[in-house]
Amino acid sequence: MSELFVELFSEEIPAKLQINARNELKKNIKNFFIDSQIKFNENFNVYSTPNRLVLHVDKIPNEIKLNSEEIRGPNVNAPEKALEGFIRSNNTTLEKIFKKSTEKGEFYFFKRESRKIKVSELLEKNLSEILTKITWNKSMKWANYDLYWGRPLKSILAIFNKKPLNFVFNHINSSNKTFTDKSLEEGLKIFNDFNSYIKFFKQKGILIDQDLRKKIIQNKINEIINKKNLKIEQNERLIDEIVNIVEKPAVIICDFDKKFLNVPSEILITTMQSHQKYLPTFDKKNNLTNNFFVVADIKDTKGFVKLGNERVIEARLSDAEFFWKKNKTQNLVKQVDKLKNINYFKGLGSYFDKIQRMRKLSSLISDDFLISKDKIEIASSICKVDLMSDLVGEFPELQGIVGGHFAKFQGFDKEVCLAVSEQYLPNGMESKLPKKMYSVALSLSDKLDSLVGFFGINLKPTSSKDPYAIRRMAISLVRLIVENEIKIKLKDLVVYTCSAYRDQGYDFDTKKIQNELSDFIIERLKNYLKEKKIRQDIIESSTFLLGLDDLLKAYKKSLCLNKNIKKEIGFETIAVYKRSSNILNTEEKISIETLGFADPGLFKNDYEKKLYKKIDDIRKYFLSIGKDENYEESLKILSSIKKEVNDFFDNVIVNDEDIIIKKNRLELLNMLCKTFDNYFNFSKIET
Amino acid sequence: MVYKTKKKTLSFQDTIFNLQKYWSKKGCVILQPYDLEVGAGTFHPATTLRSLGPKPWKTAYVQPSRRPTDGRYGDNPNRLQHYYQFQVLIKPSPKEIKKMYLNSLSSIGINYEEHDIRFVEDDWESPTLGAAGLGWEVWCDGMEVTQFTYFQQMAGVECKPVSVEITYGLERLCMFIQNKKSVFDLIWNDEGITYKDIFHKSEKEFSAYNFEYANTDNLFKIFEMLEEETKLLVEKKISLPAYDQCLKCSHVFNILDARGVISVAQRAEYIARIRELTKSIGKVWIESQS
Repeated sequence: MSELFVELFSEEIPAKLQINARNELKKNIKNFFIDSQIKFNENFNVYSTPNRLVLHVDKIPNEIKLNSEEIRGPNVNAPEKALEGFIRSNNTTLEKIFKKSTEKGEFYFFKRESRKIKVSELLEKNLSEILTKITWNKSMKWANYDLYWGRPLKSILAIFNKKPLNFVFNHINSSNKTFTDKSLEEGLKIFNDFNSYIKFFKQKGILIDQDLRKKIIQNKINEIINKKNLKIEQNERLIDEIVNIVEKPAVIICDFDKKFLNVPSEILITTMQSHQKYLPTFDKKNNLTNNFFVVADIKDTKGFVKLGNERVIEARLSDAEFFWKKNKTQNLVKQVDKLKNINYFKGLGSYFDKIQRMRKLSSLISDDFLISKDKIEIASSICKVDLMSDLVGEFPELQGIVGGHFAKFQGFDKEVCLAVSEQYLPNGMESKLPKKMYSVALSLSDKLDSLVGFFGINLKPTSSKDPYAIRRMAISLVRLIVENEIKIKLKDLVVYTCSAYRDQGYDFDTKKIQNELSDFIIERLKNYLKEKKIRQDIIESSTFLLGLDDLLKAYKKSLCLNKNIKKEIGFETIAVYKRSSNILNTEEKISIETLGFADPGLFKNDYEKKLYKKIDDIRKYFLSIGKDENYEESLKILSSIKKEVNDFFDNVIVNDEDIIIKKNRLELLNMLCKTFDNYFNFSKIET
Repeated sequence: MVYKTKKKTLSFQDTIFNLQKYWSKKGCVILQPYDLEVGAGTFHPATTLRSLGPKPWKTAYVQPSRRPTDGRYGDNPNRLQHYYQFQVLIKPSPKEIKKMYLNSLSSIGINYEEHDIRFVEDDWESPTLGAAGLGWEVWCDGMEVTQFTYFQQMAGVECKPVSVEITYGLERLCMFIQNKKSVFDLIWNDEGITYKDIFHKSEKEFSAYNFEYANTDNLFKIFEMLEEETKLLVEKKISLPAYDQCLKCSHVFNILDARGVISVAQRAEYIARIRELTKSIGKVWIESQS
């Protein structure tokens, strides 16, 4: 049993590309072993530092045995050249070729004896292709070479069973050496196995294993925050990025001047996180502190690193503070007019045009939400002003949030400020969801306006391209509605948005927009339900012929049925429905036209009467419930018909000789199915 | 904590001298700044045009760079409408370029073994040049001091061979070396002349020009004239003079942008127009190279 150990040494590969390359390499090498029927330790790992992509697989046999097999060659009538080629490619002679008849005709055959192949040879033959199969989200070329890689690839070390594997990958020859100094790309050293490699670097403080780096960084941070009574935000994405931009992590706690804490914390946090990859800290009350973590890639023996980073944050925060002080006093209302100079989108007017439409729309929504029309109109009017501020110029990701702070500073109503702050939320599946009605109203009108606009100028996403993130916009719209359980007439809102555009002189095809947007939003609801792990058949039936006004209803019903489908009430309901609908489906062949109701006067026995009464009761129940249907209760009531249905089937023969009676019984079953369909389209549910 | 160094602090001009000497020893042609207003060292024809085509090329030079919108009337310690870049361009990109770069830092007093030098992902794109590249911004203890880019495309043409471009932000670098919080406090020479002495007045006056007094009606006209001239010269197949006119277009556009008279939609249109000029010049240049 041997190990395969490969190291690909390159210039610094960005974190995201590294993670992707690790996964790709892992997948490709696994497929190779499986396809070649070579046993291997499936719990193998791929490691990386910015400069090194390392593969280590052990428990691999040195040889594999290929069983003897008969290999079919060309047809006996094929030209002689084909036979010659066959002999050559199998490395054999004419004497060993024989003819044999098969179903498809007579062919030449060659019997290959069972044989042993060295795994090292297979690896040498295939590694280059395995590496070629790595796909990069972004790759580059360098110098005169044709190879595409994340960043310039400098050397390949490849070992199997402590011996070098020799292959050529583009312009690079593999060897048993690598550069031990990643900075200068010097210090060539031979390694014959993975352990000595890991050990060598560990002695230099370099950790090849990303999980180990992560643990060490986290432990060190925890040690410090526990001592200082601080907290950090669990930001996995940032931590994972940091882990993959260092090879010998050194956690350093730094601080900045406390005076900057007067600047809104989002601005400080963004400066630290996205610009500098620092980790901000919070006190026990979740207030930002002036302590922050730097994860350096070097031991800061002389204190230069701490000093340098503190100077950098000081300069950056000074800039931010300067802009904050300047922008917060600029009157939001007085600036609204200036939005006329800022294009929202080519073909959709200026931001001034947009907020006019949003104001109309949000004002209409305010009626449904029972919130103040004045307040939501104010929020709509000022919500885009921050786009003109220096702060949003510097920190585009803080649009809205910054506007909210300006509004607060200028004494706007609390709910207005929050709405401005949360107008872009949610932004996709994972993002935070606004809960306050003013925020929801503003966000809804922003998203609807954008969706209608983009569909109006025909910039719908295609199956592969969605450059304006329109899908995300629609998913966010769905989330706003279903997660906040908002009952609105979305269809009317779409129509109203279209008319807001028309009022401004846009020549939109309203009907077309409505139809396309409706399909699009319902498609997003389906994706959303899928993300929520709802069964596909439940998704399909709950969204079948769904109207835009019923997103919430469809969502709640699918959730309810998904939860109960394996429980008695769900299971029984479906069984009852299927039993009835199956008979109807078979009888359809004799084309009985149903009227939609049975005639009680034609009933011959109590079972029919009881079933009829039960159906009637259920119908009355559905008529009595208003908007606030309890879907679980409804399901329970549906399932309660089980006894009547079973009694009916056990004692009544539907297929009566008298065609009128038979038809009446079918009508009864049809009533039952219709009643059930009224709740849910059970016909698409698989049992 | 304040750290002391035994050596005297390297002045701004000594930093330039050392970098020039260093890259000269590496075989680079040391050029002087291009004599037109440009937004970055990349715009110097020694980079833009010379990075195109098959011929090997190595150069290094200082380039005064103008970014009208970044002017702050000399009030902001970190922002200038006129500043200096030290630019290195090598085609094809050499294998040992990282080593060369790190050693160049040593030549200006930054020992890479004592500082946290980081190559942080930064993919570069210049819409007006029709250019794109992959590389990093280099951080020294958290401060960005260099842009390090492998050109993939220039003037809309795929680069083959690929050049590597190293751009040092001289002010940032010197603020780091001299431990200064404001660019205006930088020591220019050993006589104690500061950056403020030399540039504060011009920052103030050019900010006023860029933001307040530039005659936009004239500039719009000048842009049209220059664009027309560029097209004419492209037809005549003289790429270098054509490129000069195009650079002037680009600067006129930048001033108009700073004056705030170009809307978002117009902005994209102007950028596209300049890009088209660059592309047509690139084509003529390449034809002359093979």
